[in-house]
Amino acid sequence: MFSTSTQCKHWMFNSEEELNKLRENANMKHIQTYGRHINEASRYDFFLTAEEEKIMVKRYEIRLRDFCKRFQPPMTRCVIGTAFHYFKRFYIHNSVMNHHPKEIMVTCIYLACKVEEFNVSIQQFVANLKGDREKATDIILNNELLLMEQLNFHLSVHNPFRPVEGLLIDIKTRCTLNDPERLRPGTEHFLERALLTDVVLLYSPSQVALAAVLHAASKLQENLDSYVTDTLFGVEGRGKLDELIEAVRAIRSMVKMVDATADRNQQKLLDKKLEKCRNPENNPDSEIYKKRMQALLDEDDDLYQTISSRADSMNNSTLNMSVCASPEVA
Amino acid sequence: MEDFTCPRCKTSKFQNPSLKMMVNVCGHGLCESCVDLLFLKGSGSCPECRIPLRRNNFRIQLFEDAAVEKEVDIRKRVLRDYNKKEEDFNSLAEYNDYLEEVETIIYNLTNNIDIVNTNKRIEQYKRDNREQIMKSKGKLGREEYELEELLEYEKQQQELRKQEIFIEESEIKKKKIREKEALIDELMFSSENAKNIVETFAQQVKEAKEEEAKAAPVKKTHFSSGIQFGRNSQTSFLPVPIEDGPLFIFKPLSVQTDGPKLPTEDEIVDKGYTNHVRTENEQERAGGFKSNIACMRALQDAFSGLYHVKKAFVH
Repeated sequence: MFSTSTQCKHWMFNSEEELNKLRENANMKHIQTYGRHINEASRYDFFLTAEEEKIMVKRYEIRLRDFCKRFQPPMTRCVIGTAFHYFKRFYIHNSVMNHHPKEIMVTCIYLACKVEEFNVSIQQFVANLKGDREKATDIILNNELLLMEQLNFHLSVHNPFRPVEGLLIDIKTRCTLNDPERLRPGTEHFLERALLTDVVLLYSPSQVALAAVLHAASKLQENLDSYVTDTLFGVEGRGKLDELIEAVRAIRSMVKMVDATADRNQQKLLDKKLEKCRNPENNPDSEIYKKRMQALLDEDDDLYQTISSRADSMNNSTLNMSVCASPEVA
Repeated sequence: MEDFTCPRCKTSKFQNPSLKMMVNVCGHGLCESCVDLLFLKGSGSCPECRIPLRRNNFRIQLFEDAAVEKEVDIRKRVLRDYNKKEEDFNSLAEYNDYLEEVETIIYNLTNNIDIVNTNKRIEQYKRDNREQIMKSKGKLGREEYELEELLEYEKQQQELRKQEIFIEESEIKKKKIREKEALIDELMFSSENAKNIVETFAQQVKEAKEEEAKAAPVKKTHFSSGIQFGRNSQTSFLPVPIEDGPLFIFKPLSVQTDGPKLPTEDEIVDKGYTNHVRTENEQERAGGFKSNIACMRALQDAFSGLYHVKKAFVH
């Protein structure tokens, strides 16, 4: 149930401004941590701005969608929706420069597959990727825990897909609309576009679903207004109606604004800039990253060694103690 | 114990009737207040033999002779490790040797004879028989527990028997009175020969007695093969502990949907919601998933959160 979920409690935001503010904070934090040596004025020549980061995220959202569509075996819509949620949530509190979106993107999809019970092994999963699969496996598995941590382990996601089914059932039962199945293609198209926006972080899944159904109806020159006001909300929901109408309008206008095409030149520029300013500690191609990984492995070995040596010395000391305890020495 | 005095402060039982003598592993006594004074820090040395002692090892002296006290203490300690039973030995002679060894050790320790070697012997024994000691300890605990249970059970049985006997006796008394009255009635009102009547009554009483003797056969608790059955045989199983917590109180689940009111489960069928859902197939029905559940879930998801309102934006 959405109303008692972590999604409702922790991942619903009030406005796009609030989201932008959080993203700016993440951007600022990154620059303050890694760019202290560069003076204020020329900082953004080197680092990405929050706006540029947003463009990057948007572009990778489109890539995420395309990747999911091409995925073999075909994914259910819930997996795609959940992956979108994870990806969006991750970049609310993290900077693109710290963790490259192409890595986080595949990790999100892999995690979503698990959570939504779409069973693929990691081999099957990386078979859908181009390039070095061994490396991709490492990246995904290394990032998985980080991702979950950044999501605060709030893994269950409420997508708007089932609410659409529920609304269609309700419309078929309580509304005189002729052949409600006609609404389906329009609704699906709307939801797909809605995932590319921030609406899922601002409105509840059922509100998004209702907006999708209403949008599809209006495209077909049908009117469901009386169904919503009289049947669905009825007398007891009258007070809440204004809020809902406002929400539906906002969702529809936000989805309308989606621009799925991007400026190629700008993309290339941003890619180059990011390649320069990304955090080398999290770049699997960099020397620092390799060293760090090696250090972690060594640390594990060291830890194991100290533990085992400590256990040995403990064993010895207990033996000594038993000798000490014997009255011969005392 | 009357003429007891504390060796340190010379307080006697006569001066202070509530004097409590304490004793530690060395066997030298001290009164309670001296212990409090000397062992303020938790440890110190015995004022007589200078052996380092710990305060929490002090206990109240039970025997007048402190040497006995010391021996009891040592015995307890030694027997904690020397806890073999007769069953653990092949022959009685071996067991006796073992007992003798234990007694020698205890005697040596109490009388300060060759302490170093004796202690070494104990250590050696401990090391050699570590497993055996642990096993016996476990066994001992279990045996004690079983014994306790047996005693408890016997007590209950006794109580029951007492009650039964009491009831029986009063019953017999009543019966006798009734029989006597019947006899007198018969004698008073019957036209038969008085001698005959008395004889038939005597016969009846005799028969009743015989029947009683037959009616109470001895309850068997053993098969001919020697296997026990009945209640006694269950003593090896410990009863399952039952936790007495507060009773469970059922509260119906209240669902906060934050949306319009949902149709009830009956309404889903009555109002035709289920006509628009795929009916479940046989396998799904076997698992308990009927179409109204899927329908309910879809509706619940569609309705919950429709009233969702953004919180006031906090800057």
